[in-house]
Amino acid sequence: MGRGLYTIPIVLRILLVFSILTLAFLQHTRGVSGGQARPASQGSGVDLTGATVDPLKAAAGKVVVLIFVRIDCPISNRYSPTIQRLSAEHPGQVVFWLVYPDRSESAEQIQKHQRDFGYTLPALRDVQRSLVTESRVQTTPEAAVFDANRRLVYHGRIDNLFADFGRARPAATTHELGDAIQAALDGKAVAADSVPAVGCYISDLK
Amino acid sequence: MKKRAQCAAIGISAAVLAVVFEVGATSGSSASSNRKSVSSSTLRENYSSDNSQPTYTRDIAPMLFHSCAPCHRPGEAAPFSLLTYADAKSHARLIVDVTQRHIMPPWLPSPDDPKFADDLRLSSAEIKRLQDWVDQGATEGNPADLPPEPQWVKGWQLGKPDVIVKATKPYALAAGGTDTYWNFVFRSPVDRPRWLKAIEIRPGDKRLVHHANVLVDRGQTARLQEKTPGAGFGGMELTIESELFDPDSHFLFWKPGSAPYVEPDGMAIRLDQSADLVLNTHLQPSGKPETLQPTLGLYFTDKPATLHPILLQMENDRQLDIPAGAKDFVVTDDFTLPVDVTLLAIYPHAHYLGRDLEATAALPDGKSETLIHIPRWDLNWQAVYRYTDAMSLPAGTRITMRFTYDNSAGNVRNPNHPPQRVVAGNRASDEMAHLWLQVLPKDARSGIDPRAQIQEAMARHHLDKNPDDFEARYNLAALLQARGDVAGSTAQFAQAVRIRPTDAAANNALGAALLASGRTTQAIPYLAKALKTRPDYFDAHYNLGNALATQGDFARALEQFREAVRLHPQDADAEANLGSALAETGNLKGARAHFERALKLNPNHQLARENLQQLDQSNSNDHSN
Repeated sequence: MGRGLYTIPIVLRILLVFSILTLAFLQHTRGVSGGQARPASQGSGVDLTGATVDPLKAAAGKVVVLIFVRIDCPISNRYSPTIQRLSAEHPGQVVFWLVYPDRSESAEQIQKHQRDFGYTLPALRDVQRSLVTESRVQTTPEAAVFDANRRLVYHGRIDNLFADFGRARPAATTHELGDAIQAALDGKAVAADSVPAVGCYISDLK
Repeated sequence: MKKRAQCAAIGISAAVLAVVFEVGATSGSSASSNRKSVSSSTLRENYSSDNSQPTYTRDIAPMLFHSCAPCHRPGEAAPFSLLTYADAKSHARLIVDVTQRHIMPPWLPSPDDPKFADDLRLSSAEIKRLQDWVDQGATEGNPADLPPEPQWVKGWQLGKPDVIVKATKPYALAAGGTDTYWNFVFRSPVDRPRWLKAIEIRPGDKRLVHHANVLVDRGQTARLQEKTPGAGFGGMELTIESELFDPDSHFLFWKPGSAPYVEPDGMAIRLDQSADLVLNTHLQPSGKPETLQPTLGLYFTDKPATLHPILLQMENDRQLDIPAGAKDFVVTDDFTLPVDVTLLAIYPHAHYLGRDLEATAALPDGKSETLIHIPRWDLNWQAVYRYTDAMSLPAGTRITMRFTYDNSAGNVRNPNHPPQRVVAGNRASDEMAHLWLQVLPKDARSGIDPRAQIQEAMARHHLDKNPDDFEARYNLAALLQARGDVAGSTAQFAQAVRIRPTDAAANNALGAALLASGRTTQAIPYLAKALKTRPDYFDAHYNLGNALATQGDFARALEQFREAVRLHPQDADAEANLGSALAETGNLKGARAHFERALKLNPNHQLARENLQQLDQSNSNDHSN
């Protein structure tokens, strides 16, 4: 299985280079952990009782992780053990939310999905896609990490388990989400603020 | 798949096979016959001249029905359905992405290969049409254009099976982690030998099972690996020990979206009451804990096998010693056919380092044919490929396999991180270089069963590569034995014992060969050694009983025959011999009971009948005295 087989889109390469340049620039101008919070569009979702929730406000002062998932996305489902493991690693310091961007998935379906996969994380339906916008995510599963100042420090894949559709590694060898959480807790810059995820496209949803 | 069936040729009849066999006429029993399919060739023609805006109902639905929905529908293997406009729309970009990159529909052989059955591939015109549809808004179109959804067969694809067997115990698949390989052992449900025309494999939740294989285990050896009876056992590759070529040289393979293959008339598979069926499954975690308890549906036929295909196994595991980091490691094997054959199906097999798998045939007239070429091997989508038009390969055809392996870090499937040296083996992290070809020998000009000729050529070929190849040595010995070459077979069995000094089958076979050539004293230690390794070995007890009886040691022979009868209560020969030994030790009443039992099991048992008559005679003599 040679490199050529995975057909890494050219766009992706440019993005990677760009993110590294950005990081270098930021480090140069404002040091590692300084800088200003990005002006965030105030995203909010609807919890399973129908109440509107701003997950970032609800956990003010903590690192917040939004994981975008979809009931019928096999890759996001395969990640459920990893997501739950990561969510339990920093009790009290990091708050995890599952975000369901598919408007057609009802609260009942989501509750069943949570039961089936043993999720104990709070869930939100992103009916306005405002959390998608604020998190700049494109696929399920994709993670977004916000630091205590509501600044988006990372969005992208959870790890590199999947190299492509149907091409999973025996085990992940890079752990972008875990690293990003640690960096956010330590107040350090994340190595790359975005790594594209393999999964189902959110833009396909109504 | 099993490493290699030990194909002792004992029992292969020397009957001349009349083989005029047209695969094309009979192979339609696969997936396509179970649903009304939309002809994709018609679609392909339409596209070439159509520049209108594509719509779901007119352009996309027929493609999805034909090429995607066999798996992408409720209850099937795929993770979501593609039956409606809403389904297609909510995965539209994904569909374009995976079809353009030929990830879906999954199909490994190159487009230039000979035609195989069940090819679900989309044409480039169809893939372009999908892209255009999404680019132009993924519209639904006129509902009147929508073709009817295919008529899916519910439940058993071939109708109600004659017998259904269910795995004794379910297997609990963990929520996460890597792929798992599990084997389920089914006890034979038949009470007499039956002919199977098909086995439908229902592995359980199809989303978890990447593929599955059934092997007929005539010697019930796989079950020895179960910790408790019925529990099954782990492992990617199976070695079924057998003194017969299994499973009658048929591929019993299941992959998602495929309907069970129905063997053509005359190619039925024999199932005995003493056989186990072993289901080898490749499972993938779903993210939540799952349990699997597969069932098998057996379909019988009254028509016994008259055509006997055989599986040629090419391999070169000895060449497999792949240095860490090697990107283009090549393994080859070639084999020259000793007889004319018809090639029916092909099954290339490698593990996670395999990258490019190719098989070619150089015909005696100088022509060269590609048998299969898989430029991007993917273990997850491995399959048995059946030729739409069976290929004629004359004697003298040289078949070459050439497999290329990538043991670099760039291979995402590499089981080792960082890469390590990898050699051949049965674990998923080991490698394999195997190519199986199902061929039907055409005739027997020399009067020798062509299957035996092929098997002998195959065994000699394996021994050329590796003189210490135990299975090849054993099989060659068995073939020579079947041909009546006592000295030759004894020498080869002795070699097999030299290679594996404690192997029960080899020791028993050598003992039996020595016994058959009258070297009883030499035979006994080998038979005893076979029993030391495998105390419940029927054949060895039976043979040792015969050896001891030949030496006149009837008391000890008796013990062996008693064990043989305990192990195989349905064996008429063992009953008759137990009767004889009892008679020799003076227990005429006991002897009579066992002769009668032998005759009950086989009313034509000559020895039992004659001995019983003799008993009757001596009885009447006693009375007259």
